[in-house]
Amino acid sequence: MTLSKHHLAIPAAVVLVIGAVLPILLLVMFSVFRVEDLDLVPALSLRSWTDVVTSGTYRFLIGKAVVSGIVTVLLCIPVAYPLALCLTRLDARWKGIGLIVLLTPLYTGEIVRIYAWRIVLGSEGLVNATLKALGVIDQPLKILLFSPVATHLVLAYDNLPFMTLAIWVSAEFVDRRLIEAARDLGARPMQAFAQVWLPLTAPGLAAGAFATFSLAAGDMLTPMLLGGTSGATAMAMIDNLFGTAFDWPTASALALTLLGVLNIGAVLIALAVLRLGRLRAGVSA
Amino acid sequence: MSSRILLAAVTAFLYLPVAVLVVFSFNASEVMAFPLSGFTWHWYGVLANNDNFWNGFVASLLIAQPVGLLGTLIALATALALADRRPLRGRMVLIGLLLIPFLVPKSVLSIAQAMIMSRVGIPRGATVLILAQTLMVLPFTTALIASVLVRLDPRLEEAARDLGALPWQAFRRVTLPQLKAAIGAAYSVAVILSLSDLAISMFLSGRTQPLSLIVASQFRRELTPDLNAMQVVVLAVTVLLVTVSELLRRRQTKAQTIPFDIQPAAALGHRA
Repeated sequence: MTLSKHHLAIPAAVVLVIGAVLPILLLVMFSVFRVEDLDLVPALSLRSWTDVVTSGTYRFLIGKAVVSGIVTVLLCIPVAYPLALCLTRLDARWKGIGLIVLLTPLYTGEIVRIYAWRIVLGSEGLVNATLKALGVIDQPLKILLFSPVATHLVLAYDNLPFMTLAIWVSAEFVDRRLIEAARDLGARPMQAFAQVWLPLTAPGLAAGAFATFSLAAGDMLTPMLLGGTSGATAMAMIDNLFGTAFDWPTASALALTLLGVLNIGAVLIALAVLRLGRLRAGVSA
Repeated sequence: MSSRILLAAVTAFLYLPVAVLVVFSFNASEVMAFPLSGFTWHWYGVLANNDNFWNGFVASLLIAQPVGLLGTLIALATALALADRRPLRGRMVLIGLLLIPFLVPKSVLSIAQAMIMSRVGIPRGATVLILAQTLMVLPFTTALIASVLVRLDPRLEEAARDLGALPWQAFRRVTLPQLKAAIGAAYSVAVILSLSDLAISMFLSGRTQPLSLIVASQFRRELTPDLNAMQVVVLAVTVLLVTVSELLRRRQTKAQTIPFDIQPAAALGHRA
Protein backbone atom coordinates (compact mmCIF):
# COMPACT_ATOMS: atom_id res chain seq x y z
CA MET A 1 0.00 0.00 0.00
CA THR A 2 1.46 3.32 -0.98
CA LEU A 3 0.86 6.47 0.96
CA SER A 4 -1.31 9.07 -0.71
CA LYS A 5 -2.82 12.38 0.26
CA HIS A 6 -5.91 10.48 1.35
CA HIS A 7 -4.09 8.92 4.27
CA LEU A 8 -3.77 12.39 5.75
CA ALA A 9 -7.42 12.10 6.80
CA ILE A 10 -6.56 9.28 9.22
CA PRO A 11 -5.56 11.37 12.27
CA ALA A 12 -8.80 13.37 12.21
CA ALA A 13 -10.87 10.23 11.66
CA VAL A 14 -9.16 8.49 14.59
CA VAL A 15 -9.60 11.48 16.91
CA LEU A 16 -13.28 11.86 16.00
CA VAL A 17 -14.10 8.16 16.23
CA ILE A 18 -12.39 7.69 19.59
CA GLY A 19 -13.34 11.09 21.02
CA ALA A 20 -16.90 11.53 19.71
CA VAL A 21 -18.43 8.39 18.17
CA LEU A 22 -17.22 5.96 20.83
CA PRO A 23 -18.41 8.04 23.81
CA ILE A 24 -21.89 8.34 22.29
CA LEU A 25 -22.06 4.60 21.55
CA LEU A 26 -21.01 3.96 25.14
CA LEU A 27 -23.82 6.21 26.36
CA VAL A 28 -26.19 3.86 24.52
CA MET A 29 -24.53 0.87 26.20
CA PHE A 30 -24.47 2.36 29.71
CA SER A 31 -28.12 3.37 29.41
CA VAL A 32 -29.19 -0.30 29.54
CA PHE A 33 -26.73 -1.32 32.29
CA ARG A 34 -27.69 -1.72 35.93
CA VAL A 35 -26.09 -0.28 39.05
CA GLU A 36 -25.41 -2.76 41.85
CA ASP A 37 -23.40 -1.91 44.96
CA LEU A 38 -21.99 1.25 43.37
CA ASP A 39 -20.78 -0.67 40.37
CA LEU A 40 -22.02 -0.79 36.78
CA VAL A 41 -23.20 -4.25 35.84
CA PRO A 42 -23.64 -5.21 32.19
CA ALA A 43 -27.32 -5.95 31.61
CA LEU A 44 -30.15 -5.35 29.23
CA SER A 45 -32.37 -3.29 31.46
CA LEU A 46 -34.82 -0.69 30.28
CA ARG A 47 -35.30 0.73 33.79
CA SER A 48 -33.38 3.96 33.11
CA TRP A 49 -35.32 4.57 29.91
CA THR A 50 -38.70 4.04 31.58
CA ASP A 51 -37.50 6.34 34.39
CA VAL A 52 -36.65 9.09 31.95
CA VAL A 53 -39.89 8.74 30.01
CA THR A 54 -42.21 8.49 33.03
CA SER A 55 -40.55 10.86 35.50
CA GLY A 56 -42.20 14.27 35.65
CA THR A 57 -38.94 15.98 36.63
CA TYR A 58 -37.01 14.75 33.60
CA ARG A 59 -39.85 15.53 31.24
CA PHE A 60 -40.12 19.00 32.76
CA LEU A 61 -36.39 19.66 32.35
CA ILE A 62 -36.33 18.49 28.74
CA GLY A 63 -39.45 20.52 27.98
CA LYS A 64 -37.76 23.50 29.59
CA ALA A 65 -34.73 23.12 27.31
CA VAL A 66 -37.03 23.08 24.28
CA VAL A 67 -38.94 26.16 25.49
CA SER A 68 -35.66 27.98 26.18
CA GLY A 69 -34.51 27.24 22.65
CA ILE A 70 -37.77 28.43 21.09
CA VAL A 71 -37.88 31.62 23.20
CA THR A 72 -34.31 32.44 22.20
CA VAL A 73 -35.10 31.92 18.50
CA LEU A 74 -38.18 34.14 18.82
CA LEU A 75 -36.15 36.84 20.60
CA CYS A 76 -33.40 36.78 17.97
CA ILE A 77 -35.44 36.86 14.76
CA PRO A 78 -37.12 40.31 15.14
CA VAL A 79 -33.71 41.92 15.70
CA ALA A 80 -31.59 39.78 13.38
CA TYR A 81 -33.89 40.03 10.36
CA PRO A 82 -34.04 43.81 9.95
CA LEU A 83 -30.38 43.98 10.95
CA ALA A 84 -29.40 41.54 8.18
CA LEU A 85 -31.42 43.54 5.61
CA CYS A 86 -29.67 46.74 6.74
CA LEU A 87 -26.28 45.07 6.38
CA THR A 88 -26.97 43.98 2.78
CA ARG A 89 -27.57 47.62 1.87
CA LEU A 90 -24.12 48.78 3.04
CA ASP A 91 -21.25 49.20 0.58
CA ALA A 92 -18.44 46.65 0.47
CA ARG A 93 -16.11 48.43 2.92
CA TRP A 94 -18.80 48.90 5.57
CA LYS A 95 -19.90 45.30 5.10
CA GLY A 96 -16.41 44.18 6.08
CA ILE A 97 -16.54 46.39 9.17
CA GLY A 98 -20.06 45.16 9.93
CA LEU A 99 -18.87 41.56 9.82
CA ILE A 100 -16.04 42.26 12.28
CA VAL A 101 -18.35 44.19 14.63
CA LEU A 102 -20.83 41.32 14.52
CA LEU A 103 -18.35 38.50 15.10
CA THR A 104 -15.89 40.00 17.61
CA PRO A 105 -18.17 39.55 20.66
CA LEU A 106 -18.21 35.82 19.88
CA TYR A 107 -14.52 35.63 20.64
CA THR A 108 -14.97 36.72 24.24
CA GLY A 109 -15.32 33.63 26.38
CA GLU A 110 -18.65 32.41 27.67
CA ILE A 111 -17.70 33.17 31.24
CA VAL A 112 -16.52 36.70 30.39
CA ARG A 113 -19.87 37.46 28.77
CA ILE A 114 -21.90 35.95 31.61
CA TYR A 115 -19.78 37.83 34.12
CA ALA A 116 -20.21 41.14 32.30
CA TRP A 117 -23.97 40.71 32.06
CA ARG A 118 -24.14 40.06 35.77
CA ILE A 119 -22.68 43.54 36.31
CA VAL A 120 -25.05 45.12 33.80
CA LEU A 121 -28.18 43.51 35.25
CA GLY A 122 -27.32 43.55 38.98
CA SER A 123 -29.44 45.52 41.44
CA GLU A 124 -26.86 48.35 41.39
CA GLY A 125 -26.01 47.67 37.76
CA LEU A 126 -26.23 49.76 34.63
CA VAL A 127 -29.86 49.05 33.80
CA ASN A 128 -31.21 49.63 37.30
CA ALA A 129 -29.05 52.72 37.83
CA THR A 130 -30.27 54.22 34.56
CA LEU A 131 -33.92 53.49 35.27
CA LYS A 132 -33.54 54.96 38.75
CA ALA A 133 -31.86 58.10 37.47
CA LEU A 134 -34.65 58.54 34.95
CA GLY A 135 -37.17 58.20 37.76
CA VAL A 136 -38.86 55.18 36.20
CA ILE A 137 -38.36 53.05 39.30
CA ASP A 138 -37.69 53.63 43.02
CA GLN A 139 -36.52 50.15 43.94
CA PRO A 140 -34.06 48.19 41.79
CA LEU A 141 -35.73 45.55 39.60
CA LYS A 142 -34.67 42.27 41.21
CA ILE A 143 -36.16 40.27 38.38
CA LEU A 144 -33.38 41.36 36.00
CA LEU A 145 -30.69 39.11 37.48
CA PHE A 146 -30.81 35.45 38.52
CA SER A 147 -34.07 34.94 36.66
CA PRO A 148 -35.36 33.52 33.38
CA VAL A 149 -35.24 37.10 32.07
CA ALA A 150 -31.46 37.22 32.51
CA THR A 151 -31.00 33.72 31.09
CA HIS A 152 -32.91 34.40 27.89
CA LEU A 153 -31.52 37.88 27.39
CA VAL A 154 -27.99 36.46 27.50
CA LEU A 155 -28.88 33.44 25.35
CA ALA A 156 -30.31 35.85 22.77
CA TYR A 157 -27.18 38.00 23.07
CA ASP A 158 -24.97 34.93 22.48
CA ASN A 159 -26.91 33.79 19.42
CA LEU A 160 -27.79 37.09 17.74
CA PRO A 161 -24.57 37.09 15.65
CA PHE A 162 -25.23 33.54 14.33
CA MET A 163 -28.83 34.31 13.44
CA THR A 164 -27.92 37.60 11.76
CA LEU A 165 -25.08 36.04 9.80
CA ALA A 166 -27.26 33.20 8.49
CA ILE A 167 -30.00 35.60 7.30
CA TRP A 168 -27.46 38.09 5.95
CA VAL A 169 -25.72 35.46 3.79
CA SER A 170 -29.00 34.38 2.18
CA ALA A 171 -30.21 37.98 1.77
CA GLU A 172 -26.99 38.84 -0.13
CA PHE A 173 -28.04 36.40 -2.86
CA VAL A 174 -31.50 37.91 -3.35
CA ASP A 175 -31.74 39.61 -6.73
CA ARG A 176 -32.62 43.25 -6.00
CA ARG A 177 -34.49 43.53 -9.27
CA LEU A 178 -37.13 41.14 -7.91
CA ILE A 179 -37.94 43.58 -5.12
CA GLU A 180 -37.99 46.50 -7.54
CA ALA A 181 -40.23 44.53 -9.88
CA ALA A 182 -42.62 43.75 -7.03
CA ARG A 183 -42.72 47.45 -6.10
CA ASP A 184 -43.20 48.48 -9.73
CA LEU A 185 -46.12 46.10 -9.97
CA GLY A 186 -47.76 47.92 -7.08
CA ALA A 187 -46.70 45.86 -4.04
CA ARG A 188 -46.56 47.87 -0.82
CA PRO A 189 -43.26 47.58 1.13
CA MET A 190 -44.79 45.08 3.58
CA GLN A 191 -46.17 42.99 0.72
CA ALA A 192 -42.83 43.02 -1.08
CA PHE A 193 -41.25 41.91 2.18
CA ALA A 194 -43.70 39.10 2.90
CA GLN A 195 -43.93 37.76 -0.63
CA VAL A 196 -40.43 38.31 -2.00
CA TRP A 197 -37.88 38.80 0.79
CA LEU A 198 -39.29 36.28 3.21
CA PRO A 199 -39.54 33.27 0.83
CA LEU A 200 -36.13 33.98 -0.68
CA THR A 201 -34.38 34.30 2.68
CA ALA A 202 -36.21 31.39 4.32
CA PRO A 203 -33.22 29.01 3.95
CA GLY A 204 -30.96 31.42 5.86
CA LEU A 205 -33.63 32.00 8.48
CA ALA A 206 -34.03 28.21 8.85
CA ALA A 207 -30.27 27.69 9.23
CA GLY A 208 -30.10 30.46 11.83
CA ALA A 209 -33.06 29.03 13.75
CA PHE A 210 -31.48 25.56 13.65
CA ALA A 211 -28.17 26.76 15.10
CA THR A 212 -29.74 29.11 17.65
CA PHE A 213 -32.18 26.50 18.91
CA SER A 214 -29.49 23.83 19.33
CA LEU A 215 -27.04 26.15 21.06
CA ALA A 216 -29.59 27.79 23.37
CA ALA A 217 -31.51 24.64 24.32
CA GLY A 218 -28.31 22.73 25.02
CA ASP A 219 -26.73 25.47 27.12
CA MET A 220 -26.05 24.69 30.76
CA LEU A 221 -23.82 27.51 32.00
CA THR A 222 -26.01 30.53 31.29
CA PRO A 223 -29.06 29.21 33.21
CA MET A 224 -26.79 27.80 35.93
CA LEU A 225 -24.95 31.07 36.56
CA LEU A 226 -27.61 33.67 35.71
CA GLY A 227 -30.88 31.81 36.16
CA GLY A 228 -30.88 31.76 39.96
CA THR A 229 -33.49 29.37 41.34
CA SER A 230 -34.87 28.89 37.83
CA GLY A 231 -31.48 27.71 36.64
CA ALA A 232 -31.99 23.94 36.84
CA THR A 233 -31.33 22.31 33.48
CA ALA A 234 -31.44 18.79 32.10
CA MET A 235 -27.68 19.13 31.57
CA ALA A 236 -27.06 19.95 35.24
CA MET A 237 -29.28 16.99 36.18
CA ILE A 238 -27.19 14.70 33.97
CA ASP A 239 -24.05 16.02 35.65
CA ASN A 240 -25.59 15.35 39.03
CA LEU A 241 -26.66 11.81 38.13
CA PHE A 242 -23.22 11.09 36.72
CA GLY A 243 -21.19 12.57 39.57
CA THR A 244 -22.95 12.63 42.91
CA ALA A 245 -25.71 10.08 42.43
CA PHE A 246 -23.57 7.57 40.49
CA ASP A 247 -26.57 6.62 38.38
CA TRP A 248 -24.82 6.29 35.04
CA PRO A 249 -27.64 4.41 33.28
CA THR A 250 -30.14 7.19 33.98
CA ALA A 251 -27.54 9.87 33.20
CA SER A 252 -26.87 8.16 29.84
CA ALA A 253 -30.54 7.70 28.97
CA LEU A 254 -31.28 11.32 29.88
CA ALA A 255 -28.29 12.57 27.86
CA LEU A 256 -29.37 10.58 24.80
CA THR A 257 -32.98 11.76 25.16
CA LEU A 258 -31.83 15.36 25.41
CA LEU A 259 -29.58 14.87 22.38
CA GLY A 260 -32.42 13.37 20.36
CA VAL A 261 -34.96 16.01 21.40
CA LEU A 262 -32.52 18.84 20.63
CA ASN A 263 -31.68 17.58 17.16
CA ILE A 264 -35.25 16.65 16.25
CA GLY A 265 -36.46 20.00 17.64
CA ALA A 266 -33.87 21.91 15.62
CA VAL A 267 -34.80 20.06 12.43
CA LEU A 268 -38.53 20.63 13.02
CA ILE A 269 -38.04 24.34 13.61
CA ALA A 270 -35.90 24.67 10.49
CA LEU A 271 -38.51 22.79 8.44
CA ALA A 272 -41.31 24.95 9.84
CA VAL A 273 -39.45 28.11 8.79
CA LEU A 274 -38.82 26.73 5.31
CA ARG A 275 -42.49 25.80 5.00
CA LEU A 276 -43.52 29.29 6.03
CA GLY A 277 -41.32 30.64 3.25
CA ARG A 278 -42.85 28.28 0.69
CA LEU A 279 -46.40 29.14 1.75
CA ARG A 280 -45.62 32.81 1.29
CA ALA A 281 -44.12 32.16 -2.12
CA GLY A 282 -47.24 30.14 -2.99
CA VAL A 283 -49.47 33.10 -2.19
CA SER A 284 -47.59 35.35 -4.56
CA ALA A 285 -47.57 32.83 -7.41
CA MET B 1 -31.85 56.87 8.59
CA SER B 2 -33.80 54.33 10.62
CA SER B 3 -31.38 51.64 9.47
CA ARG B 4 -28.50 53.66 10.96
CA ILE B 5 -30.31 53.80 14.28
CA LEU B 6 -30.78 50.04 14.20
CA LEU B 7 -27.11 49.41 13.36
CA ALA B 8 -26.00 51.74 16.16
CA ALA B 9 -28.42 50.20 18.66
CA VAL B 10 -27.31 46.63 17.93
CA THR B 11 -23.64 47.60 18.08
CA ALA B 12 -24.28 49.22 21.47
CA PHE B 13 -26.09 46.09 22.68
CA LEU B 14 -23.30 43.79 21.48
CA TYR B 15 -20.55 45.84 23.12
CA LEU B 16 -22.40 47.02 26.24
CA PRO B 17 -21.27 44.20 28.58
CA VAL B 18 -17.66 44.50 27.46
CA ALA B 19 -17.70 48.28 27.91
CA VAL B 20 -19.15 47.98 31.41
CA LEU B 21 -16.48 45.44 32.33
CA VAL B 22 -13.67 47.72 31.17
CA VAL B 23 -15.16 50.77 32.92
CA PHE B 24 -15.49 49.02 36.27
CA SER B 25 -11.97 47.63 36.12
CA PHE B 26 -10.80 51.28 36.33
CA ASN B 27 -13.43 52.43 38.83
CA ALA B 28 -12.12 53.61 42.21
CA SER B 29 -14.60 51.73 44.36
CA GLU B 30 -14.96 48.34 45.97
CA VAL B 31 -18.60 48.12 44.91
CA MET B 32 -19.50 47.63 41.29
CA ALA B 33 -22.35 50.12 41.13
CA PHE B 34 -23.28 53.36 39.48
CA PRO B 35 -22.52 56.23 39.77
CA LEU B 36 -18.78 55.80 39.10
CA SER B 37 -16.25 56.97 41.70
CA GLY B 38 -13.19 58.01 39.68
CA PHE B 39 -10.27 56.50 37.79
CA THR B 40 -7.74 54.09 39.31
CA TRP B 41 -5.13 51.49 38.33
CA HIS B 42 -5.54 49.97 41.78
CA TRP B 43 -7.36 46.79 40.73
CA TYR B 44 -4.66 45.91 38.22
CA GLY B 45 -2.17 46.20 41.09
CA VAL B 46 -4.30 43.91 43.25
CA LEU B 47 -4.56 41.52 40.31
CA ALA B 48 -0.79 41.43 39.84
CA ASN B 49 -0.53 40.05 43.39
CA ASN B 50 -3.29 37.47 43.06
CA ASP B 51 -1.38 34.23 42.42
CA ASN B 52 -4.58 32.23 42.10
CA PHE B 53 -5.70 34.18 39.02
CA TRP B 54 -2.27 34.25 37.42
CA ASN B 55 -1.82 30.51 37.85
CA GLY B 56 -5.16 30.01 36.15
CA PHE B 57 -4.22 32.41 33.36
CA VAL B 58 -0.91 30.63 32.78
CA ALA B 59 -2.63 27.21 32.88
CA SER B 60 -5.16 28.41 30.27
CA LEU B 61 -2.39 29.70 28.00
CA LEU B 62 -0.34 26.50 28.39
CA ILE B 63 -3.36 24.40 27.43
CA ALA B 64 -4.28 26.64 24.52
CA GLN B 65 -0.88 26.33 22.78
CA PRO B 66 -0.92 22.54 22.18
CA VAL B 67 -4.60 22.78 21.25
CA GLY B 68 -3.64 25.39 18.65
CA LEU B 69 -0.75 23.28 17.30
CA LEU B 70 -2.61 19.96 17.21
CA GLY B 71 -5.84 21.52 15.99
CA THR B 72 -4.03 23.22 13.12
CA LEU B 73 -1.79 20.28 12.11
CA ILE B 74 -4.59 17.71 12.06
CA ALA B 75 -6.85 20.20 10.26
CA LEU B 76 -4.17 20.86 7.61
CA ALA B 77 -3.78 17.13 6.98
CA THR B 78 -7.56 16.63 6.84
CA ALA B 79 -8.06 19.61 4.51
CA LEU B 80 -5.38 18.27 2.13
CA ALA B 81 -7.12 14.89 2.02
CA LEU B 82 -10.56 16.48 1.50
CA ALA B 83 -9.39 18.86 -1.22
CA ASP B 84 -7.40 16.29 -3.19
CA ARG B 85 -8.48 16.14 -6.82
CA ARG B 86 -8.96 12.40 -6.69
CA PRO B 87 -12.14 12.24 -4.59
CA LEU B 88 -11.53 10.81 -1.14
CA ARG B 89 -13.29 7.53 -0.40
CA GLY B 90 -15.62 7.99 2.53
CA ARG B 91 -15.56 11.76 2.07
CA MET B 92 -19.12 12.18 3.31
CA VAL B 93 -18.39 9.97 6.33
CA LEU B 94 -15.47 12.20 7.27
CA ILE B 95 -17.57 15.35 6.84
CA GLY B 96 -20.28 13.71 8.96
CA LEU B 97 -17.70 12.95 11.66
CA LEU B 98 -16.53 16.56 11.58
CA LEU B 99 -20.12 17.72 12.14
CA ILE B 100 -20.57 15.71 15.37
CA PRO B 101 -18.95 18.34 17.62
CA PHE B 102 -21.50 20.82 16.19
CA LEU B 103 -24.55 18.63 16.76
CA VAL B 104 -23.73 17.32 20.23
CA PRO B 105 -23.70 19.91 23.03
CA LYS B 106 -20.18 20.26 24.43
CA SER B 107 -21.26 19.30 27.94
CA VAL B 108 -23.01 16.09 26.78
CA LEU B 109 -19.92 15.01 24.85
CA SER B 110 -17.63 15.89 27.76
CA ILE B 111 -19.71 13.89 30.23
CA ALA B 112 -19.66 10.90 27.88
CA GLN B 113 -15.89 11.24 27.53
CA ALA B 114 -15.50 11.51 31.30
CA MET B 115 -17.52 8.29 31.72
CA ILE B 116 -15.24 6.34 29.37
CA MET B 117 -12.14 7.68 31.03
CA SER B 118 -13.25 6.86 34.50
CA ARG B 119 -14.26 3.35 33.28
CA VAL B 120 -10.94 2.68 31.55
CA GLY B 121 -8.98 4.39 34.31
CA ILE B 122 -7.51 7.36 32.42
CA PRO B 123 -7.05 10.22 34.91
CA ARG B 124 -8.62 13.55 34.03
CA GLY B 125 -6.27 16.48 33.67
CA ALA B 126 -4.36 18.67 31.26
CA THR B 127 -3.64 15.94 28.67
CA VAL B 128 -7.23 14.81 28.14
CA LEU B 129 -8.42 18.41 28.30
CA ILE B 130 -6.05 19.27 25.46
CA LEU B 131 -7.25 16.31 23.40
CA ALA B 132 -10.94 17.07 24.01
CA GLN B 133 -10.47 20.73 23.10
CA THR B 134 -8.55 19.73 19.96
CA LEU B 135 -11.55 17.64 18.95
CA MET B 136 -13.84 20.62 19.57
CA VAL B 137 -11.77 23.00 17.39
CA LEU B 138 -11.22 20.57 14.47
CA PRO B 139 -14.42 21.43 12.54
CA PHE B 140 -13.56 25.14 12.67
CA THR B 141 -9.87 24.86 11.80
CA THR B 142 -10.47 22.30 9.03
CA ALA B 143 -13.18 24.45 7.43
CA LEU B 144 -10.87 27.50 7.58
CA ILE B 145 -7.91 25.80 5.88
CA ALA B 146 -10.01 23.80 3.39
CA SER B 147 -11.88 26.93 2.24
CA VAL B 148 -8.57 28.52 1.17
CA LEU B 149 -7.12 25.27 -0.19
CA VAL B 150 -9.97 24.65 -2.65
CA ARG B 151 -9.48 28.12 -4.13
CA LEU B 152 -5.77 27.58 -4.94
CA ASP B 153 -4.76 27.03 -8.54
CA PRO B 154 -3.85 23.31 -8.76
CA ARG B 155 -1.79 23.99 -11.86
CA LEU B 156 0.90 25.65 -9.76
CA GLU B 157 1.67 22.45 -7.90
CA GLU B 158 1.39 20.38 -11.09
CA ALA B 159 3.83 22.69 -12.82
CA ALA B 160 6.28 22.26 -9.95
CA ARG B 161 5.91 18.47 -10.29
CA ASP B 162 6.46 18.72 -14.06
CA LEU B 163 9.66 20.63 -13.41
CA GLY B 164 10.92 17.75 -11.29
CA ALA B 165 9.88 18.65 -7.77
CA LEU B 166 9.08 15.71 -5.47
CA PRO B 167 5.54 15.71 -4.02
CA TRP B 168 6.85 16.88 -0.66
CA GLN B 169 8.96 19.63 -2.28
CA ALA B 170 6.02 20.80 -4.38
CA PHE B 171 3.87 20.95 -1.25
CA ARG B 172 6.48 22.74 0.85
CA ARG B 173 7.52 25.31 -1.74
CA VAL B 174 4.29 25.91 -3.67
CA THR B 175 1.21 24.99 -1.63
CA LEU B 176 2.37 25.68 1.92
CA PRO B 177 3.43 29.31 1.30
CA GLN B 178 -0.04 30.02 -0.07
CA LEU B 179 -1.64 28.47 3.01
CA LYS B 180 0.46 30.37 5.57
CA ALA B 181 -2.24 32.90 6.37
CA ALA B 182 -5.02 30.31 6.64
CA ILE B 183 -2.83 28.23 8.96
CA GLY B 184 -2.15 31.29 11.10
CA ALA B 185 -5.84 32.10 11.27
CA ALA B 186 -6.73 28.48 12.16
CA TYR B 187 -4.15 28.53 14.93
CA SER B 188 -5.56 31.71 16.48
CA VAL B 189 -9.14 30.47 16.25
CA ALA B 190 -8.12 27.26 18.02
CA VAL B 191 -6.30 29.19 20.76
CA ILE B 192 -9.26 31.56 21.24
CA LEU B 193 -11.77 28.70 21.43
CA SER B 194 -9.56 26.92 23.95
CA LEU B 195 -9.11 30.03 26.11
CA SER B 196 -12.84 30.73 26.14
CA ASP B 197 -13.91 27.17 26.91
CA LEU B 198 -15.61 26.44 30.19
CA ALA B 199 -17.99 23.55 29.42
CA ILE B 200 -15.26 21.01 28.58
CA SER B 201 -12.96 22.16 31.39
CA MET B 202 -15.74 21.65 33.92
CA PHE B 203 -15.85 17.92 33.23
CA LEU B 204 -12.35 17.01 32.13
CA SER B 205 -9.79 19.32 33.72
CA GLY B 206 -9.26 17.25 36.87
CA ARG B 207 -6.77 19.04 39.08
CA THR B 208 -5.73 21.51 36.39
CA GLN B 209 -7.48 24.82 37.03
CA PRO B 210 -7.87 26.95 33.89
CA LEU B 211 -8.86 30.55 34.45
CA SER B 212 -12.43 30.15 33.20
CA LEU B 213 -13.01 27.52 35.88
CA ILE B 214 -11.58 29.72 38.63
CA VAL B 215 -13.80 32.62 37.54
CA ALA B 216 -16.85 30.33 37.45
CA SER B 217 -16.16 29.13 41.00
CA GLN B 218 -15.81 32.74 42.22
CA PHE B 219 -19.02 33.65 40.47
CA ARG B 220 -21.46 32.62 43.17
CA ARG B 221 -19.65 34.66 45.78
CA GLU B 222 -19.34 38.43 45.86
CA LEU B 223 -17.55 39.73 42.77
CA THR B 224 -14.40 41.79 43.29
CA PRO B 225 -13.06 44.46 40.93
CA ASP B 226 -9.72 42.67 40.46
CA LEU B 227 -11.72 39.90 38.78
CA ASN B 228 -12.91 42.60 36.34
CA ALA B 229 -9.30 43.55 35.70
CA MET B 230 -8.48 39.87 35.03
CA GLN B 231 -11.35 39.61 32.54
CA VAL B 232 -10.12 42.76 30.81
CA VAL B 233 -6.63 41.24 30.52
CA VAL B 234 -8.14 38.08 28.98
CA LEU B 235 -10.16 40.26 26.64
CA ALA B 236 -7.06 42.21 25.59
CA VAL B 237 -5.20 38.97 24.79
CA THR B 238 -8.17 37.80 22.71
CA VAL B 239 -8.44 41.08 20.81
CA LEU B 240 -4.71 40.91 20.09
CA LEU B 241 -5.05 37.38 18.70
CA VAL B 242 -8.08 38.32 16.57
CA THR B 243 -6.27 41.37 15.18
CA VAL B 244 -3.15 39.38 14.30
CA SER B 245 -5.15 36.66 12.54
CA GLU B 246 -7.27 39.25 10.70
CA LEU B 247 -4.11 41.06 9.51
CA LEU B 248 -2.67 37.73 8.34
CA ARG B 249 -5.86 36.97 6.43
CA ARG B 250 -5.85 40.39 4.77
CA ARG B 251 -2.22 40.10 3.73
CA GLN B 252 -3.10 36.83 2.05
CA THR B 253 -6.03 38.22 0.09
CA LYS B 254 -4.11 41.33 -0.97
CA ALA B 255 -1.03 39.64 -2.38
CA GLN B 256 -1.02 35.97 -3.21
CA THR B 257 2.73 35.88 -2.85
CA ILE B 258 4.53 33.43 -5.08
CA PRO B 259 8.14 32.69 -4.13
CA PHE B 260 10.58 33.96 -6.71
CA ASP B 261 12.10 30.58 -7.54
CA ILE B 262 8.84 29.12 -8.81
CA GLN B 263 7.86 32.09 -10.97
CA PRO B 264 8.66 30.18 -14.19
CA ALA B 265 6.55 27.28 -13.00
CA ALA B 266 3.69 29.68 -12.32
CA ALA B 267 4.03 31.13 -15.81
CA LEU B 268 3.95 27.64 -17.25
CA GLY B 269 0.86 26.86 -15.27
CA HIS B 270 -0.97 29.90 -16.57
CA ARG B 271 -0.18 29.08 -20.16
CA ALA B 272 -1.56 25.57 -19.88
